[in-house]
Amino acid sequence: MPAETPSTPISSFSRLVRIATICAPMLALIGLWQALVSAQIWPEQVLVSPFRVASTLWDMAASGELTRHLGASLYRLVVGFLLGSAVGLVSGGAMGLSRIAFRIGAPLFHAVRQVPIIAFIPLLILFFDVEDSFKIVVVAAASFFPVALGTMDGIASIPKAHLEVAALYRLPLASLLWRVVLPATVPPIVTGLRLGLTRAWLSLVAAELLAADSGLGQMMEMGRQLFRIDVVMGGVIVAGVIGFLLDRSMIALERRLGRWRLA
Amino acid sequence: MSDLSFTVDRGAAAGDRPHSGAVRIANLSKRFSLSGKTFTALDNINLDIRPGEFVSIVGPSGCGKSTLLRLITGLDTDYDGDIRLDERRVAGTGLERGLVFQDHRLFPWMTVAKNVEIALLNQNLPKERRDRLIRSHLELVGLIGFEDAYPHQLSGGMAQRAAIARALVNEPKVLALDEPLGALDALTRVKVQAELQRIWMEAGTTMIMVTHDVDEALFLGDRVVVMSPRPGRIARIVDVDLPHPRDRASSVLHRLKDEILAELTAEPADADDRLVPFPRKPRA
Amino acid sequence: MKRRAVNLALALLLPALLLALWQSQALKGGAHAYAFAPLGQIADSFATMIADGRLLLHALASLQRALTALLIGGTLGLIAGCTIGLWRPLEAGVTPVINALRQVPVLGWLPLIALWFGNGDGAKLILVSLATFYPMALNAQQGMHAVDRKLAEVGRLYGFSRWQALRLIGWPSALPLILTGVSQALAFAWIATIGVELLFSASAGLGTEMMAAQVAARTDVVIVCILCVALMGFALNQLFGLVRRRALRWQASR
Repeated sequence: MPAETPSTPISSFSRLVRIATICAPMLALIGLWQALVSAQIWPEQVLVSPFRVASTLWDMAASGELTRHLGASLYRLVVGFLLGSAVGLVSGGAMGLSRIAFRIGAPLFHAVRQVPIIAFIPLLILFFDVEDSFKIVVVAAASFFPVALGTMDGIASIPKAHLEVAALYRLPLASLLWRVVLPATVPPIVTGLRLGLTRAWLSLVAAELLAADSGLGQMMEMGRQLFRIDVVMGGVIVAGVIGFLLDRSMIALERRLGRWRLA
Repeated sequence: MSDLSFTVDRGAAAGDRPHSGAVRIANLSKRFSLSGKTFTALDNINLDIRPGEFVSIVGPSGCGKSTLLRLITGLDTDYDGDIRLDERRVAGTGLERGLVFQDHRLFPWMTVAKNVEIALLNQNLPKERRDRLIRSHLELVGLIGFEDAYPHQLSGGMAQRAAIARALVNEPKVLALDEPLGALDALTRVKVQAELQRIWMEAGTTMIMVTHDVDEALFLGDRVVVMSPRPGRIARIVDVDLPHPRDRASSVLHRLKDEILAELTAEPADADDRLVPFPRKPRA
Repeated sequence: MKRRAVNLALALLLPALLLALWQSQALKGGAHAYAFAPLGQIADSFATMIADGRLLLHALASLQRALTALLIGGTLGLIAGCTIGLWRPLEAGVTPVINALRQVPVLGWLPLIALWFGNGDGAKLILVSLATFYPMALNAQQGMHAVDRKLAEVGRLYGFSRWQALRLIGWPSALPLILTGVSQALAFAWIATIGVELLFSASAGLGTEMMAAQVAARTDVVIVCILCVALMGFALNQLFGLVRRRALRWQASR
């Protein structure tokens, strides 16, 4: 346990320690990478040094190229995610609240849910051609299922008992929503959103690798065709970082809402 | 004196060990530290247990009775003082000292027979003898026919009986039981108590049982050790001078129960050790 | 009985509606026929592809790829996960690295792997193995922590050696989680296989066939492949479910 010095607040110190423990293995990995490069086990073309990758990324950022690709990818991600989540919330809500809707929609929903989104890509290309709309649809489709599922879970987790008590005390609608419905439904929905976002990012990168004129995936594919390993690696790192940030922010959101629920 | 309690013939299994299983505890203390402070779990415990005796230990929470069992069976080896089994100092776990836990702790992925078998794993017995031992002990606890059942298929009482079979199968000199019937419902508990008494009478193993239930302690035990908490000490040892099998309705048991309950619910007076042997002959 | 019939009817309502919509679009002709292949044509293609063995060829190729990768990635993941789970210092160091690498979308590794290992089947196998590695390693790691201390005490009572404890207590305790890892890895293997075949159309495979069909604007073939992918994925899942239930038959089924 760290000693409590009067001048250092405990929370920020322990946070620093936590960040350090996360960063240390990463730095070690980069160090290992550099060591392998320096050892010249593989030729320079095969294993480029971390510095080369960093400088390439820097150049691309400076020239606006990275921004362009990143922007295109994130634009598709956001639009597709919002679209898919909205439809997912509505569908999941309908199936959760209405027995009829459930009996009509659920069998098909669960059947289609099992099929990997990636298998639908060729079909979607046929429908939407190789442009933005097809990728947005892919992202939307990828987001849709986890969000709908999360919404159904959320509605199912409203404790019946609470609803009965609320009815007993004739709770006004606003109060009912705020105190009973939302606290129960929001956490599973947020989990669904998080999973949907993860799936969306995964599918987007795959779709862009396949067919695109801009975007992170396309950047990597171009890099591959031009034998620019530094570009490809740069893309991998950026893709990883974005994935990480997306995940983290959703987890933070989950935790925030969880605390609010307990409050 | 104590021989009068043994009115039933011991089984052949115990016949060849008439004088083993004596446990001698002298000046036993257990201290441990938590956040810089020292806690005394057991303070200067002295107890002599005769071979083949059934000793019950009762006491409120925090009196160290479970700790005592763990020390005797060697799961815990850090203590001051002396614990001897047949004059040999106890060091770590050993097949001659068995333990039955409150939760049966059967391995969920093994059948009943296999669960009993693993107790014999490190004994290097020929297969035939092993199978015979397993069978006879399952018979002892009344689980013939359930050899191939998995623990999740057993009721609480049956699972606990399987655990007892496992603990007895390598014929230990001493069997410690840590609130073995605590997890069972009241009706099952009464039944398994009778079972346990029968098993003890047949096997002849020295048994040391910790329990919260004073009735149970008196029904099963030749002596009842009453402990007091914080620090854990022996407050009083009560002789139960009645023959086995016991009659639950006995007035002697009722009177002893009242005495013990009074002891347990009394306010702690001073810190001195009080070892007050109960008078031998019950007054009319 | 009546209730079940009603449920069935309701379940089929939406699919029937969609199929009807599809067919009507397909029959419109012109640009619509390009994307919406008529249902009859789809059925025909299905029959043809089975008859000339193409479907079986591609399906088996994909299956073989997925299972081989599962074997490789799964085994490596199992070893890695168990090692990490058993050795605390290693766990602290390696887990963040694995988690960091896991953030990269699996198919995103493809260009890199292609540059290093070429376009052939080997490279594809490496990628799919990578996809199976993560869930296996993480679940195996969790499995190592799943040992109930109380059961370990029983082992101590009976003088279990380190090896006996591992074999009789550690491994069975870990098995449920390890099997979860395998089932997740199986699902990932199938998805990654199709993905890799889509992106790298080289030899046989359902994904390869789908891409070729897409380029040739044969929606009917694409749909047949989608159905095949879905059915096989489902079948693999169910089969493994059976294996899992048998291996874990000692668990209380709730």
